[in-house]
Amino acid sequence: MGDPSLNLFGRLYRYFAGRRRVLYGATLLLVALSLFASSRLRLQDDIVAMLPDDGSSAATDFRLLQLAPFTRKLVVSLKTQTPGDSAALVATADSLAQGLREAKVGKVSTGPAQLGPEFFGFLGSALPNLCGEADLKRLEAATAPEKVRDRLREGYEQLFAPEGWALKGKLQADPLSFSDLVLERLRFLNLVPNMRLVQNHFVSADGSSALITVDTTVPMTDSAASRQLMDRVDTAVKKTVPAGFSATVLSGHRYTLANADAVKRDLYLVLTLSVVAVFAIYLVFLRSMSALFVFLVPSSVLAIASGAMALWAPKVFAVTLGFGGVLLGMVDEYATMIYFACRKGGKDPALITAEVARPVLSGALATLLSFGVMLLSVLPGQRQLAVYSMTGIAAALLFSLVVLPHLVRPAPGGSLPFGGMKTLRPPRRVVLVVWCVLLAVCAFGATTVRFNGSLQAVNLVPAELKRAEVELNRTWGDLQGKALIFAEGKDLESALELNRRVFERLAPTLPPGELVSLAPLLPSEAQQRENRARWVSFWQDGRAARLERDLAREGAAFGFTGAAFAPFLATLKAPPAPLNVDGLRAAGLSELVDALVLENAGSVRVLTLVPDRPELVERLSRELGALPGVHVVSESRFGATMGGSIIRDFTRYLAITGVLVFLLVAAVFRAPSRIALVLVPVVTGVVCMLGIMGLLGLQFNIFNIAATILIIGLCVDYGIFMVSRLEDGGDETSSLAVLVSGLTTLAGLGALALARHPSMQSIGVSVLLGVGTGIPAALFVIPALRREDTP
Amino acid sequence: MMRLLLPLCLLCLLLCALPLHAETQPSPQLLETLEKNAGSVRTLSSDFVQEKHLSMFKNPMTSKGHLYFARPDQLRWELTAPVASGFVLKGDRGKRWHERTGRTESFQISQEPIMKLVSEQLFAWARSDFAWIKKEYRVTVLQESPALLRLEPRSAATAGFLHHLLIGFSADGRYVKNVELHEKDGDFTRIRFLNTVVNKTLPADIF
Repeated sequence: MGDPSLNLFGRLYRYFAGRRRVLYGATLLLVALSLFASSRLRLQDDIVAMLPDDGSSAATDFRLLQLAPFTRKLVVSLKTQTPGDSAALVATADSLAQGLREAKVGKVSTGPAQLGPEFFGFLGSALPNLCGEADLKRLEAATAPEKVRDRLREGYEQLFAPEGWALKGKLQADPLSFSDLVLERLRFLNLVPNMRLVQNHFVSADGSSALITVDTTVPMTDSAASRQLMDRVDTAVKKTVPAGFSATVLSGHRYTLANADAVKRDLYLVLTLSVVAVFAIYLVFLRSMSALFVFLVPSSVLAIASGAMALWAPKVFAVTLGFGGVLLGMVDEYATMIYFACRKGGKDPALITAEVARPVLSGALATLLSFGVMLLSVLPGQRQLAVYSMTGIAAALLFSLVVLPHLVRPAPGGSLPFGGMKTLRPPRRVVLVVWCVLLAVCAFGATTVRFNGSLQAVNLVPAELKRAEVELNRTWGDLQGKALIFAEGKDLESALELNRRVFERLAPTLPPGELVSLAPLLPSEAQQRENRARWVSFWQDGRAARLERDLAREGAAFGFTGAAFAPFLATLKAPPAPLNVDGLRAAGLSELVDALVLENAGSVRVLTLVPDRPELVERLSRELGALPGVHVVSESRFGATMGGSIIRDFTRYLAITGVLVFLLVAAVFRAPSRIALVLVPVVTGVVCMLGIMGLLGLQFNIFNIAATILIIGLCVDYGIFMVSRLEDGGDETSSLAVLVSGLTTLAGLGALALARHPSMQSIGVSVLLGVGTGIPAALFVIPALRREDTP
Repeated sequence: MMRLLLPLCLLCLLLCALPLHAETQPSPQLLETLEKNAGSVRTLSSDFVQEKHLSMFKNPMTSKGHLYFARPDQLRWELTAPVASGFVLKGDRGKRWHERTGRTESFQISQEPIMKLVSEQLFAWARSDFAWIKKEYRVTVLQESPALLRLEPRSAATAGFLHHLLIGFSADGRYVKNVELHEKDGDFTRIRFLNTVVNKTLPADIF
């Protein structure tokens, strides 16, 4: 116990040698408690894992993007195979809408609210609040006696036609069609570019499709509720859409489900395959019942890391848990090191433990540093990953150095599998030539690798959804590709005033089809007041009386009575009432109001939509930046900004990790030649990964950067183990440990490369390449260089 | 004596008047007969006189014109006086013209809510489509022969402007002879169809 040559782990071995039952009992209890805690874990499989939570504009932008009109809706595009039969299309849309309503999926809409008398009443009452100087000039022209005559003749003649009865009320209330000024403003409220109204239904311009929208309360981030919702929608579609029609359903819920399903399927595949493969490797190389304990170390570590996560954050990102397979493959290197050393035997187990602990601790420290840097990340998913990995590594260290030495007995005669790989030593020159050629080729390949910082590159969009997106965009125009401009105020009045100023800046440069804004139809109360005062003064100038006389005179010529236009003349004399959101809703425009006015506690946002063209968004951001409370958000810019900031984030970690690992290696190994030897697997792994990806035409995305950190952590361990053991006399246990742990890592990561989700696949492929080349570099290149190094 | 006579007279008047104004539910036979008679109509051409009694005009507005119909879905409504104008409906397509402005324009019925309503009404009467009529209106028979029906709209939207319709059929029940549209505000329109010819071959270019 008091042997000065023993370090902490050697002494711990001695301490627990007489108390093994306590040690085993405590270990089992820890694992059992971790398993219990893990069972309470809940998976979170949305993009929140990759969104900065530091209050930066990226997180705000993401939240704002969710407020876009069609982002919150479930959209069903019903297509007929016989375009032109609009009656059948409309009838089928109604039947599907009814089916959806019965399925209780939310508020179903096939068209705008029926525009009835309230709407036409609104047109009249809105006018005094909306008329600016230019509008009044137009009214002045429209009230010239000859224009009055023309308009009355037109109205008179229209009354003879069968449809005339519907125009009678309008002619009385608005004989000179003043309301056209208001109707013109509705051009700025077309949310669906390629849409027309047929029997008050949204029908595509080519007449082939009808649009049904569903407002649902199910959050897109809730995958369980999303599944129930989409099941109900699909059932309703199947039940109500007859032959000759097809329905395309698109909503954020579909993307959530596609990603969630892929992640879950991948997790199942990755975890199953990695466990089976790792177990098979142990059976081949370890060939002993005590090898079962080596296998149990990473399995227990997985349980402990998951248990720790459950205590730290009950909701775990699926991507974090996906790393379970990686971790499982990664942390067995400490266990295999101690296993082979113990199997070889020939020494006091306490001494063996103490000897193995030194390189294992150095390697573990390097790996902990690699992952520790990730704790500084602003991405919650990365921080979770750091905690998860570091907990697993710490637990693996404890199990490997404290528990395992008691469980592994020396092999008879100290023999190791495959003769300890003594025979597997290729000619030094061959090794070095192959290595140099490989490095040169890969260094060249690395210069051709292409970076793709887009989040879309790591987001799973199944072919079926891609087709649906293309179909919807082709039929309806780009429903979702809109940049959003939020005018935010503490109340509706200030938000509307800001929205008006935004509109005034945009209107001269954007046509109505591209600009969607409520400003022309609902100015702020202050603006309305100004317009009303202008309106009253316009008519008080003797104009109303003159117009009344003109109407009476010109009307009499067509047989109109003196009271025919009394409702119209009353509106010129009565004090106009202000316009408000409730008035717009009552007029049948509630869909538009709800889409463009977003009220929160303490603030109101009014939304303007413009096309999401990078140059336009850039220009508008610059021009509107001077207006406080205005926020321009665009999906394309958000993706580019996010990708850029994640790349910067990871590149910083990469640099910090590289420096820290180098400093650690330098502190432990001191001599430049030994430091260089230790770094051989890292350099080989990183250069080969980049080079092979470049040569294969694979893009380097944000998850590849994360994987590079992993490669550094793993390969530096191999370098440390190999150089340490070669320094200590060059026994073969380290080679075997590196080979076996490397193979298990590859097995775990190989499974990740089979994943369907691009993020997991990226990690799998790049670590497979990096570690796959780092292992032979550690096993063959270090000894080859070392022979040169040793006189 | 007068105290006795007055109620008696009133009672007599009431009893005499009863058969004339008794509104009864339409017998299925009557509607079936009307539909069957109208079913034999392939084409129809008729002059019409329209009188609009609108409170906003000092006098009734009178206009004249021609109506042409060919099964299943072609119709021409043509005003000749006081203004030459009109429209042609053919399936879901339509064309309207106005002589004074010289304007002719094509349109799609399904895209024009008012025109859709008008065309539904005109086709329903031309074809005597009682399935549609009963769906849209509560039908009461004011007179069996020649048939005179009173129709009240079922939907609140239509009832918002139309109070009721009075439809009078020809003696043989093959076509509508006159229509009265009574609005909620008391205004009404009366259309009388004259010189109606059934199943005459119509010029091909009329629609």
